[in-house]
Amino acid sequence: MIELFSVTKRYPGGQVGLDEVTLKIEAGQMVFLTGPSGAGKSTFLKLIYCEEVPSSGSILVNGRNVSSLPRRKVPYLRRTIGVVFQSFRLIPRKTVFENICYLPRILGLSGQEQRQLAYETLRRVGLAHRMKAFPLQLSGGEQQRVAIARALMNQPEILLADEPTGNLDPELSEEILRLFLEINGQGTTVIFATHDRDLIQRVGRRVLTLEGGQLASDKVLPGKLVDTSDDDSEKSAGVE
Amino acid sequence: MNLSQAIVYFLREAFSSLVRSWKVSLVAITTITMSLFLSGVFLLVSSNLRQLIEGWEEEAKLVIYIEPDATTGEAERLQSHLRDAAWTSDVRHVTAEEAGVRFRKAFPSLGELLEGWSKSPIPSSLEVLLDRNTLPAPDQLDSWLDQLRQDSAVSVVDDDRDWLRQLEAVVYAIEALGMVLGALLLVTAVFTISSVIRLTAYLYRDEIAVMRLVGATEFFIRGPFYVEGVLQGLAGGIVAIVFLAAGHALLMERYADSALSLLTVKFLSLSELLALMALGSLAGLVGAIASLRRESLGQTAETPEWQEED
Repeated sequence: MIELFSVTKRYPGGQVGLDEVTLKIEAGQMVFLTGPSGAGKSTFLKLIYCEEVPSSGSILVNGRNVSSLPRRKVPYLRRTIGVVFQSFRLIPRKTVFENICYLPRILGLSGQEQRQLAYETLRRVGLAHRMKAFPLQLSGGEQQRVAIARALMNQPEILLADEPTGNLDPELSEEILRLFLEINGQGTTVIFATHDRDLIQRVGRRVLTLEGGQLASDKVLPGKLVDTSDDDSEKSAGVE
Repeated sequence: MNLSQAIVYFLREAFSSLVRSWKVSLVAITTITMSLFLSGVFLLVSSNLRQLIEGWEEEAKLVIYIEPDATTGEAERLQSHLRDAAWTSDVRHVTAEEAGVRFRKAFPSLGELLEGWSKSPIPSSLEVLLDRNTLPAPDQLDSWLDQLRQDSAVSVVDDDRDWLRQLEAVVYAIEALGMVLGALLLVTAVFTISSVIRLTAYLYRDEIAVMRLVGATEFFIRGPFYVEGVLQGLAGGIVAIVFLAAGHALLMERYADSALSLLTVKFLSLSELLALMALGSLAGLVGAIASLRRESLGQTAETPEWQEED
């Protein structure tokens, strides 16, 4: 699914984002990416969704070498990858529906199809009842759920999350984490970047640790928290 | 999304942006209106002048003044020579007395100037109408006129085409001035539209970044901005035409009897009006393209505010 071969990323100022990283992530895996600030977590994710280009090495995503992907082909790759950020990146002047429907609109789906897809996706994240709300009318956890819904709209094969719980309190963090587990349980490969080691300890799964841009460790931790994919999302989010 | 869906999407987004940022859009539309209005005024004046000149050229004639000492036989020979030319349609003899009557009619207050002469001070002449269909090349006609001037019976050859040529030079000058001023103002309009679109793109940089993140192609990101530029240019063209039409109608009504009306007899043709609108649209498109160059719009799915550390 995702393979990195001796990938190095150096920024113009000489700063090293990633240094000779080689690893493989199988389809359907949930992987935690951890390390201190500046370790290279965001760079790692940016290289996968082609926001950055590696200085050397190769990156294969679904068998395609994305490190030399022409600029014009990047949008088509991004349609297969969902990305979620710490700062949610929602447009405050747009409703939840409008925020998550950028891609369906670009793909030419009709208004009815967009509404149906938005409803189904928001239902997955437990926010079907907030479709007409504006982001600032939502709590932090709800805003992150909207961001996740936006990332899921095109049913991506890969979901990248860059510190998605960084702005949330522990309770909401766990709620969001359960959502990621659930999404992973449905077959989506998830790479979850976080520096919250407690969160990782509770979940388990494979953990990649970056330090100074290098892959310091790659191990699988046993965890207690399991995904709740059998539960109804609206219920797990505390929504009737 | 197919092309028709894309066009509908671009139009909807562009209209929505025009409405949302109507104040800055108004500035862009105003500058393009000014440039196209000025270009239209010059076009209107020059096309009317050109039409006038064409009308006068139809009636252009040669007046050959006969030497006072020339004999009747010489005058008749000259008249016959003129009639023989393939490009003359009519040759009419105007006697000195007839010329005096015309002068008094044209300049009643100067009539006394002709009094007291033993012989009329205005010579008799031959008025020659030229047949435009059989006119030779200008060089050949000029050489024929030079030969006439050498004739012992000819005093002066007055060629209407001389002052029409001067008038044509004036029209060329007006057209050139119009083009230069119009082009300068159009460049200003392009810069204004470019700035307005860049500002709009800056205001919506967060949306642009999200669109890039979810996989929108540059075509879909830039399309609405291009259409917005074209719409601003088109709107400027339409408003300019409305002002031109209103100004033309006003001049025709208020100054119908003055010389000014000669310059506004004919309004711009449909093709000229379409050209003005096309020019406005093109200026808008150029402005949009200039504003969305790669270095100004960027290629990233992030905004500076969203930059996150590792």
